[in-house]
Amino acid sequence: MHVRREVIHIHLPRRSTSKCDMVGMVIERDSVGEEGDDVVTPGEFLGEATEFVAGKGAYVSPNGRSVRACLTGRRKVTAAPPGSHDNRSTIEIVGHKAHGAVPQPGSIVIARVTKVMARNASADIMCVDSKAVKEKFSGIIRQQDVRATEIDKVDMYQSFRPGDIVRALVLSLGDARAYYLSTAKNELGVVSAQSISGGTMVPISWTEMQCPLTGQIEQRKVAKVD
Amino acid sequence: MDVDTRNMTPTNLIDKIVVPGDVVLDLTKMENQTIKLGSGLRQDCDCISVLQAGKLRLSKPNKYWVESSQKRYVPSLEDTVLGIVVEHRSDNFLVDIKAPNLAFLPVLAFEGGTRRNIPKFETGTLIYARVVKANGIMNPELSCTDASGKAAEFGQLKNGYMFETSTGLARMLLSSPTCPVLEALGKKISFETAVGFNGRVWVNASSPDDVILVSNAIMRSEFLSGTQQRIMAEKLLQRLEKV
Repeated sequence: MHVRREVIHIHLPRRSTSKCDMVGMVIERDSVGEEGDDVVTPGEFLGEATEFVAGKGAYVSPNGRSVRACLTGRRKVTAAPPGSHDNRSTIEIVGHKAHGAVPQPGSIVIARVTKVMARNASADIMCVDSKAVKEKFSGIIRQQDVRATEIDKVDMYQSFRPGDIVRALVLSLGDARAYYLSTAKNELGVVSAQSISGGTMVPISWTEMQCPLTGQIEQRKVAKVD
Repeated sequence: MDVDTRNMTPTNLIDKIVVPGDVVLDLTKMENQTIKLGSGLRQDCDCISVLQAGKLRLSKPNKYWVESSQKRYVPSLEDTVLGIVVEHRSDNFLVDIKAPNLAFLPVLAFEGGTRRNIPKFETGTLIYARVVKANGIMNPELSCTDASGKAAEFGQLKNGYMFETSTGLARMLLSSPTCPVLEALGKKISFETAVGFNGRVWVNASSPDDVILVSNAIMRSEFLSGTQQRIMAEKLLQRLEKV
């Protein structure tokens, strides 16, 4: 078993009473093994780039020679799949509980509409694939992504209102400000909304919801929930 | 919720001052009737209550609303307003109409408007326009044409003097038959006015004296009755003749 040693030098301040002002620490580390018990931190050396492929949570350092961690967690090595022309193992970092869910293209998210404008509506993403997010993600639903038919005749005011809870699909990472979301499917759209009078509305068709307190009907792009 | 007994019959509070919280109609007493609610009224399960202080009005057979006057304007569809241009974006002008949001005036919303002859409005230009889109959530949208696409007096207002009033006075000036103060002034002075529902009035006349006199007369006439307005206008006009 190949054991790699790392030597880290720690300098003590000059005022220390001890004569020697340099202490070396030697850390022994297994660089090949299953999920180790050792915790790695961002920047820590994991292996040579010639021997390992950087997986999730790891990256190849700028000089192209070493694989380093970019998350905090435990190191995990998976052998290369048989039949691939590259027989290097993959190093990943697992077990990092500090991060909540992150929206990925193709995931279904639950979002709350914050602003409705003439050509798009912005929403705050609250859950990704039924897991709550830990930090704020913004999404935008563009006019052409509200529904699948007659997309140039969409009236944003008759599809969403601020405060509505919508189920949407993440189209892409979008621009620096917001993810691009889409409600252009039957099961996507407004899941829960409040009427002007304050009551939670009941869906009566795919374009209308009714308030139970006053009986008023309001227009929304309603999701078909089973 | 306790319902005050004086509100049992629907007609008791018509043309009276109401304040927020007053229950105006009890719907359990009125069955199989359709009621239309205008601004200032809200349905609270079984009763209609007041949202805004003002005078309750009824238009037969079944339209109720609260008439109130305030300094800020809430945009509503098909109102004609006076706006001041704040900014020029690529496809619309941003116009201030004393509303909670700035209004958008598309650069093509003029008679014969194409990309080649976009009007050059600087910041501060006074515009007379019509509201074409107004809901509480998005920025209102204006247009400088009427419904058929003709210019019809909309557009930039040049020269003259603009002052701000309450929305109630603006509605009084726009009522028909002609408001008494405007009629009295019009007998002796020739002037033109543009009144916006958002509480802005523009006055133009041949001499500055006339403009000042007309503006002062309008500003003073808010709380006067018809006869009082005529007397006030006569007094001001006499002062003009003496000089």
